[in-house]
Amino acid sequence: MVSAKKHVPIVKKRTKVFMRHQSDRFKCLDSKWRKPKGIDNRVRRRFRGTLAMPSIGYGSNKKTKHMMPSGHKAFLVSNVKDVELLLMHNKTYAAEIAHNVSSRKRVEIIARAKQLSVKVTNPKAKVTTEV
Amino acid sequence: MSNISADLIWEITRKQNAFLVKRTYGGAAQFSRDPLNLTNIHSRTHAGFVNDKAVGIVPNEKGGVQVISKKPGSANKPATGLYKVTYGKNKSSRKTYKSIASQVAKSGYRGDLRQAAVARASAIRRSQRPVKEDPPKKTRGKHAAAN
Amino acid sequence: MASRPTVTIIGADGKATGATEVLPKVFSAPIREDIVKQVHTGMAKNKRQPYSVSEKAGHQTSAESWGTGRAVARIPRVSGGGTHRAGQAAFGNMCRSGRMFAPTKIWRKWHVKVNQGQKRYATASALAASASAPLLMARGHQVYTVPEVPLVVDSAAFTAAEKTAAALGLLKAVGAGPDVEKAKKSKKLRAGKGKLRGRRHRQRRGPLVVYSAQADGTEVAKGFRNIPGVETSPVDALNLLQLAPGGHLGRFIVWTSAAIKELDAIYESKSGFNLPANVVSQADLTRLINSSEIQSVLNAPKGVARTKRSQVQKKNPLRNKQILARQNPYAAAFAKQGLGSQKSTEGKGKPLPEAFKTQLTEA
Repeated sequence: MVSAKKHVPIVKKRTKVFMRHQSDRFKCLDSKWRKPKGIDNRVRRRFRGTLAMPSIGYGSNKKTKHMMPSGHKAFLVSNVKDVELLLMHNKTYAAEIAHNVSSRKRVEIIARAKQLSVKVTNPKAKVTTEV
Repeated sequence: MSNISADLIWEITRKQNAFLVKRTYGGAAQFSRDPLNLTNIHSRTHAGFVNDKAVGIVPNEKGGVQVISKKPGSANKPATGLYKVTYGKNKSSRKTYKSIASQVAKSGYRGDLRQAAVARASAIRRSQRPVKEDPPKKTRGKHAAAN
Repeated sequence: MASRPTVTIIGADGKATGATEVLPKVFSAPIREDIVKQVHTGMAKNKRQPYSVSEKAGHQTSAESWGTGRAVARIPRVSGGGTHRAGQAAFGNMCRSGRMFAPTKIWRKWHVKVNQGQKRYATASALAASASAPLLMARGHQVYTVPEVPLVVDSAAFTAAEKTAAALGLLKAVGAGPDVEKAKKSKKLRAGKGKLRGRRHRQRRGPLVVYSAQADGTEVAKGFRNIPGVETSPVDALNLLQLAPGGHLGRFIVWTSAAIKELDAIYESKSGFNLPANVVSQADLTRLINSSEIQSVLNAPKGVARTKRSQVQKKNPLRNKQILARQNPYAAAFAKQGLGSQKSTEGKGKPLPEAFKTQLTEA
């Protein structure tokens, strides 16, 4: 399996998820982020001790954006022809087999990826059985 | 014809065409399935079907590589407009690359594609080698105890 | 005007017959993707049939709002009692069994009028685009085995192609086989409800066979009409929806030689319509810029051609002799004569006067 091209270290400025305000208090509120809009809202007004709001400053370095820890970017593939697109990019992209691909075709995709030395991010899914 | 040029074709087809593969995932990559594209990147330089002069390298069925290039001036004759040269698997890679490089760049055909052409030929030849078996997995923990 | 480009006529065996035809003027019309797209969206709407939900849907109840003061929302509620339905909210689009939001009406503006001039412009443009092999490939047509684009086949070959098998054989002989095969194999079940509404399958479009109704007769279409993906059209009734399906330029067209011969006369007979002309007669920008007419009147480039070298390691001129020579041309002579290591020949100079030293240290 080929390793990724050398790159600047990936720095995640924040690894925790942004929780929606008061999603911890009501089970009908999903924790998925929604920006508070209320006129008195303490989170919106950024009071001390309140939840942090997402902002552009948390963004990743453009050079390492979308990068997986291995240094590759994921490219969704559904068949062998898609893997062959990555022939010249096996150091920047890794193949990710789409969820609706059968195990028979996964075997073919993985074998072809190995020939092209393309990394597959999910080579075990649907192919191996638990022992 | 004078009303059609590579510039115009590119403007018409750059947003969407049959070769283009778009993903919204992992940084919205744009690749091209065009056989006359050396890097598979969707760009004007590499878009072989657009340009009057273009080079493509595809794996040869019996091993080795096949170099395809467009005959300038016969863009509208698809059946005869391609020039194909095969470098078999028994030709040494160094000689293959040398002849590809001279074919692509020496005669002033597409000097800018020389490096990409050699790189692609090299990648294809590497992919034709027999695949190495994975080393046996070292089992640890309770699985090791079970064996 | 320079000699017009010609196109060779292909025989029934797929080889050139030797005869050529001057390419009709339509093929030099400007290729305007924007016009084609706009006209196509308009024209594609003109086959629609009105539909709507029932006028009464969601309103077949005598619901009234309870007003304020009952600690429930003011939405209309079903009157009466004795059933669960009573007291439930009704009418609103947010209500169970209420009407939809903005119920669809049969008097929606279904059809779009497209001006005839625009339609003709778009058709001419689509025809011109069909003469470019790269555009055909970009549309997805399999034209790798086609001897020439536009593909003109001798009309004589079509007289024998009245049976489907013969017609298919003809298409294969002239190199259109892969495209027909592709269209045939592409038949897939449609996703969604359209399956139940008479649109069960989706399929790619194959080649369009254009014939001349006068010279070839309408019997030509019979052989082709059952081949999946293949469409036929008489040359005097060309339709943009067939020439640029989906608004995408570059339909693969198989012309009969009689049809292509007729094309010029057809466009001349269209009253009040002149074929659109290119604003720029040379579309190749590189050739335009490098032409002697333009190059001869350009000013010479100002300044010196210099490329900025980024990321170049800085070299130390004291260690690297070549860098030193570049910066100080005298360095070579200086080193050769050994001037740097030469001792002054005259021993020590005269000592400085005492007055000078005191003046130096005074401040």
